[in-house]
Order: sequence, then C-alpha cells, then structure tokens
Amino acid sequence: MTLEADHADINALRQEPSSSVGTAALRHVVINLFNLAILLPLAWVLLMSVKSLPDATRGDFWPKHFDFTHYGFVFQHIATLPVNLFNSIYVTTATVLITTACAVLAGYALVHIKPLGSGIVVTALLISLYFPVRVVSIISIYQTQHWLGLINNTSGLILPYITLQLAISILIMRSMFQLVPHEMFESARVDGAGHWRALWEIGLPMVRNGLVVIFIVNFVAAWGEYLFCLTLVDDEAKRTMPVVLAAAQGGQGQWAWPNLAAVYVIVVTPGIIAFTLAQRLFFKGLMEGALKG
Amino acid sequence: MAQVIANDEVELGARVSGGPAEVIRKGMSEWLFLVPALVFFIGYQVWPIIRVLWLSFTNFQLLSDKPSQWVGVDNYAQALHDPLMWASLWRAALFTMMFLPGTIILPLLLAILVDRVANQRLATVYRVILLIPAVIPSTLVFVLWKWMYNYQSGPINHLLVDTFGLFTLQNAPQWLGGTALTLPAIAIMEVWWGLGYHTIFFIAGLAAIPKDMPDAARIDGANEWQVFWHVTRPQLAPIMMILVVLRFGSAMAVIDEYLIFGGFNRASPTYTWTIFMYDQAFKTGLWRQGYAASIGMIGAIAMMFVMAALLWIFRPKG
Repeated sequence: MTLEADHADINALRQEPSSSVGTAALRHVVINLFNLAILLPLAWVLLMSVKSLPDATRGDFWPKHFDFTHYGFVFQHIATLPVNLFNSIYVTTATVLITTACAVLAGYALVHIKPLGSGIVVTALLISLYFPVRVVSIISIYQTQHWLGLINNTSGLILPYITLQLAISILIMRSMFQLVPHEMFESARVDGAGHWRALWEIGLPMVRNGLVVIFIVNFVAAWGEYLFCLTLVDDEAKRTMPVVLAAAQGGQGQWAWPNLAAVYVIVVTPGIIAFTLAQRLFFKGLMEGALKG
Repeated sequence: MAQVIANDEVELGARVSGGPAEVIRKGMSEWLFLVPALVFFIGYQVWPIIRVLWLSFTNFQLLSDKPSQWVGVDNYAQALHDPLMWASLWRAALFTMMFLPGTIILPLLLAILVDRVANQRLATVYRVILLIPAVIPSTLVFVLWKWMYNYQSGPINHLLVDTFGLFTLQNAPQWLGGTALTLPAIAIMEVWWGLGYHTIFFIAGLAAIPKDMPDAARIDGANEWQVFWHVTRPQLAPIMMILVVLRFGSAMAVIDEYLIFGGFNRASPTYTWTIFMYDQAFKTGLWRQGYAASIGMIGAIAMMFVMAALLWIFRPKG
C-alpha cells in the first residue's frame, strides 16, 4: 500500500458532489501557476546554457541558435573547474556518509538502548535547532580549525559540515526507530546478536525511508554550503564549486553567461535527478518521521 | 573494528555483574553508539557556542600579538551603545517581517489546493515539482537569483524593460547590492525556495485531519471559508506554530544571502547583526573577535527571546 494510494483514497472520499468542474479547473490553473513560477528560473538557466553567445546577450527566453559547446568549453578552459567539482564531490560524500552513520547509531541508541542521560541529549539537539548555531559559532570554529591546522584545507571542511544537519538527522532517525517495535531487537539479542548486529540486520531495512531523507538533506546542506567554505578556505582551487560560482561575475570570456549557466546545470542536476528517482521513498520517509520529528 | 568493540562491550556487560566498576563499564558500553555523534555535536556546536560566550567577555583580537584580557561586560556595553547594533537588529527584523507572511500563507493555500487533487498521478507530479527548489542547495539558489535580478542581463529586468516597457535601461530597478529593493528581493527568493517544502509540511498536516470533521461541518451548512477557519486551521495550528518559529529563527539569522547580495557597506539594509558580527570578526582591523562574539550573542539572545515569546503566544490552549 503506497502513500500515494492512501492519499488518493482519502481524496476520492473528500470530493464532495457539489464541487463543480469549474472549481476543479481553477484549482489546477492556480497550482500550475505556482509550478510555473518554480520552473521558469530553472528553465531560463537551462536554456541559457545552450544559447549561442549573441543570443545570450539579447535576453530572449528562447534562443534563435542552439550551441551545445559550452559544456565542453568550461571543462577545458576554466582552470579550477575540475578541481572545484572534485572538492564538492569529495567533501559532500564524506559528510553524507559520516553524518548518516552517526545519526543511525545515535538514533538507535536513543530509542532502543536509552542510556542514562539520553533525555539531556535529545533536549540539547532540539535546542540547537532553534539557536543560530552556524552563524554565531563561525568565530570559534575558525579558531578550532586554525588550531588543528585546517585553515585553507578542503578536507578540514568535512568536520563542521557534518554538524550542519547532524541534529535534525539524529532526530529523524530517532523518530524512525520509534516506529520499530522494541521486541524485534530484544528477540534478536536473546538469539545472541549484539546491538551492532541487531541494528545492521533488523534496524537498517526498517528505517530505509528515513535514510533516504537524511541522505538528501545532508547532500543538499554540504553541496551548497557557503559560509564555512568562504571563511575557512581562501584559495579558489581549494573551494567547492558553488562557492566559486557565487563569486563569478557574469560577462565576457571564460565566465560568459552561457558558460556560467553550463557550470550551474552541471552542479545542480545530480541533486534534482537523485531526488526525482528517490521521491517515493523520500515522501514516505518525510511522512513517517521527518515531519513528526 | 567498531563491530568488534561493540560486541566485546556487550559481552562484557552480560558476563560480569555487580560492582561499581561494572556499572560504569555498562554505562560506557551503552553510550558507545552515541559517541561518534556526540564528538561532532559537542566539538563543532556546543563547544564553539560556549567558547564564543567566553570570548564575548574578553578583548580577543585574532591578528593581535598581545594576549587577550577579561573585560567583563565592556563589549556588551559598547555594542548596546552603538546605533549600528540597533539598526542591524532592526534590519534583520524588517527582513523577517517581509519574508514570514508569504512563506506561511502561500504554502498553506497551495497545500489546500494540492490536497484536493484526486488524480493520484497528477498529485505526485505536483509534489515533485513543488519540492524541486527544496533539493537545490542554498548557494545555488542564491546564484540563480543573483542572475535573475542582474541589472543588465537578468530576465526580470529584461521583462520589465524590453517586454513590458515599464522601465528604460537607465531607470530599471537595481535589485541587489544593498539598495532599498535588496531585502524584498531576497524575501521573494526565500519564499520561492521554501514554497514546496512548506507546502508538503501542510499537506502532511491536512492528511492527518479526520475527513469526517470537515464533512460534518459542511452538512451543518458551513461554507468553505468557515470550514477552513473553524475546522482546518485549528487542526493545522501545531504545524503552523513550528513553521513560524523555525522560519522566524532562520530569517533573523540569515547571513549567506547578505554576504552574496549585500557586501559590507554599513548603510546597506543587508548589514544586519550577522553581517555586523562577521565584519568585526573577519574583515575589520585586527579581527576583534571578542567584540564580534558579543554582537553575535546579543543577536542570538534577542531572537531566542522573541522565539520563546512566539512559542508562548501560540501554546496549545485548553
């Protein structure tokens, strides 16, 4: 039974007989106006990335001449681009994997081990969601990184990146594990499995949808992080792709508008594709845990 | 590796019993799963905040050779006497007021509309489109809108000048760069960004309302607006409260957008307390991080105060 089907059933029952075709049509028109507002800026960038250079300066939405060479151009002629892309992939992958591992272990422990004092941990995590931690902590995180010798070091970014969405990830996993009956883990452990095996073999498959949610949430946070990268890393070649893109001024030469747009499309597409493919699991996860958490 | 340790700890806990040493060991093995998360949480969230609080009572300057001294509340006194502190707090509040209504009301409206779409496939398509901005990483949203708002080549001014002829190339609106239009421009971008995510939030809330409640109201002769106001709205109140408080918090503490769209001109409406703090900590003079810390704490405490008040105002009644 999928969520969509559930939803459709409810909606079918909700359709009151008095609702006319007219109001239904109006409803779809309004929704699609919003959809258009969402998609137009993205379509503009996509089209810009395949416009010929003269078309790009003219400003028309639809290009007169298509030119698909910008994608090849940016890889060949923008010196730091492959490095920046690599930095983004490296830092984001490490962040997502480490945060997910931490969140799964902590979420399991907070529900099914419940050590003394875990209530304090949950309270602290909740408070951190309301306090502007990222903004205020940047001062002393700079000092910590300085002390660790991690200023101007791409790998060093992973440490603060892990905490960007750590609290919410733990709370999501916690509410996912609350859906798994305690007895399932108990019986596994009576059969001789430790907490580790109980979690790996029984827990993980049960919290799959929540995993999708925290994968995406952490990917989005790390891939697009700006403040830490700007402050802690000075060299353009050591920065992540979005931060370099934010500093680029559109205009002539290597940063001509179609080139900028091509880089943009390269950077933004993986996330959108991954989300579209995983959207069913993502929505299920959101409904099960994330929104309740 | 971790597996081996975990198993060892569990077996130890099971085998031996009694004794204070044993209690401690059992406690440690129970905490083991929480250790990785807590290392990062404490190291990069709890400790930095404590350290910033401590710094705010010193005259620490990062680029200075002189050792820093404890100066008591001097930094706070100086900040509170600086008109810029109050102006920067007010600017953050102003932005919040521009942003908050749109980011609550539009998604609520949209959620009510999408919730009634009976066609299952269409409803899924709508939700996927709506959530696309939510999976675009923050900086890429800003970069996109930086181009949208571009004075010369941005599509918004192209529409206003060339398509509709409302402005000429000379008097077209200057959206970004710390003009009076910059805060509304950022607010529009933020509403666009959060639109789908908040809509999904409300859809989840609507799905939890027992369907016989609005139906009963309709049978009693209530019109759609009355159904919304007396049935749907109270049911959505808890979700709305969380959204209002969380978005108030994120709007008051915006920094990346101001760094990208505003810069460090002190007269700019984007020079809020976050930029004031950043400017003092990383840009001005010898990086007066002690003073910057006090600015950050004042801003954070001020907004936490309002958030607590909001939570109290919207507390569940009865």
